[in-house]
Amino acid sequence: MIESPSGVLKARTLSLLSPLLLALVLALEASARPVSYVGGWTIIETSNRQSTAALVHYTATPKLSVGGRMEWDRNTGFVMTAVQPTWLAKRWFGQDFQANVYLTGGLGFATGIDGNAIGSDAAYFAGVMADWETRRHFLSYEARFLDAGHFGHDFMQAGHVGWAPYEGDTGDLHTWLMLEVDHRPDALESVGVTPMIRFFKNTLLVELGYNIIEHQPLANFTFRF
Amino acid sequence: MNIKRNFMALCLTVLACGAAADNHSGDSHAGHQHGDTHGASAMMDHGSHDEMRDHMHQHDEGEHDVATGEHEAHVTGAITLTRTPEIDAALAKGGEPIVADVLGVVCDFCATAMNKIFGKRAEVAAIYVDLDTKALSIVTHEQGSLSDEDIGSLAEQAGYRVAAVRRGAAALGS
Repeated sequence: MIESPSGVLKARTLSLLSPLLLALVLALEASARPVSYVGGWTIIETSNRQSTAALVHYTATPKLSVGGRMEWDRNTGFVMTAVQPTWLAKRWFGQDFQANVYLTGGLGFATGIDGNAIGSDAAYFAGVMADWETRRHFLSYEARFLDAGHFGHDFMQAGHVGWAPYEGDTGDLHTWLMLEVDHRPDALESVGVTPMIRFFKNTLLVELGYNIIEHQPLANFTFRF
Repeated sequence: MNIKRNFMALCLTVLACGAAADNHSGDSHAGHQHGDTHGASAMMDHGSHDEMRDHMHQHDEGEHDVATGEHEAHVTGAITLTRTPEIDAALAKGGEPIVADVLGVVCDFCATAMNKIFGKRAEVAAIYVDLDTKALSIVTHEQGSLSDEDIGSLAEQAGYRVAAVRRGAAALGS
């Protein structure tokens, strides 16, 4: 592929800036619900066996958040920068539970890094997330299809099950033991299993895990303000 | 391309299920409001909340079996104002105590959301979200007032739903 000088410059600039921006977000601190309270900001970082991503979003209405996403696909070697709206399609309330279905999507561009010869191309993705949660039990499912143009496309789905060994009250440190099973048809190992632990206090959520199939660490955080 | 098509079909199915469930959910909410609002007030200790929840469930079904002692208090009672130093200080200044039972409160993010949304209101002098009781305790400023509709609307902005509101003596359990 032949690239224009401006394309090369943009790719090099992004390849330099992307890790810095990701590091900046990581340094600010750590996700759960992709739609917050009206007027609230949320920083979400996720790092799994395939990619590292940061999302900063603003909740405009009780059912809609809009944010900027930067995702580094370490396997393919590109960084996607996109605008990501997320819509709370349905929330069920109960005395002791809450359940949600979210639809999300994104539109932006992908840029090659780490020696990837492909310069830049348009990218989009669409996804669905669902969760059910009590104070002691947690279930979730998510799926996403990403089309990154010349970089290829990617489908993934993942399920989580979690259990809290105790019920923490407001402001306490909440601890969850969780298991993630993810399915990535294009990965070397299509199914991954990741035991993890979640710590949750006030506006900060941190998840740490280790994929026992591919021997890769997992680190997620969410911070609201 | 098959993956794309299947995935879009899945998204549409989820949307359709969500829309269909909307009506059903609204009906059950109305049931909660009815069941909760006719309970009288009584002080209860923090450790009895699970029993309280069981009672509220019974209430919805119209099972008003009255036992003796503590259980009787639950049958005739409701969750009361959570006392914190800020709440007590606001009460001492003559503010109105309000307790709202909130559905879907399961984590600290829920508490934070309501603290942020309600805390912005000038009428609110003190607020506390109790995850154990799923109750929002508010004390207004002496001259301030929040209607039930205000409280419902603010809870919705935070992402939650109010099932019942108690005020004054009913909120204090006196």
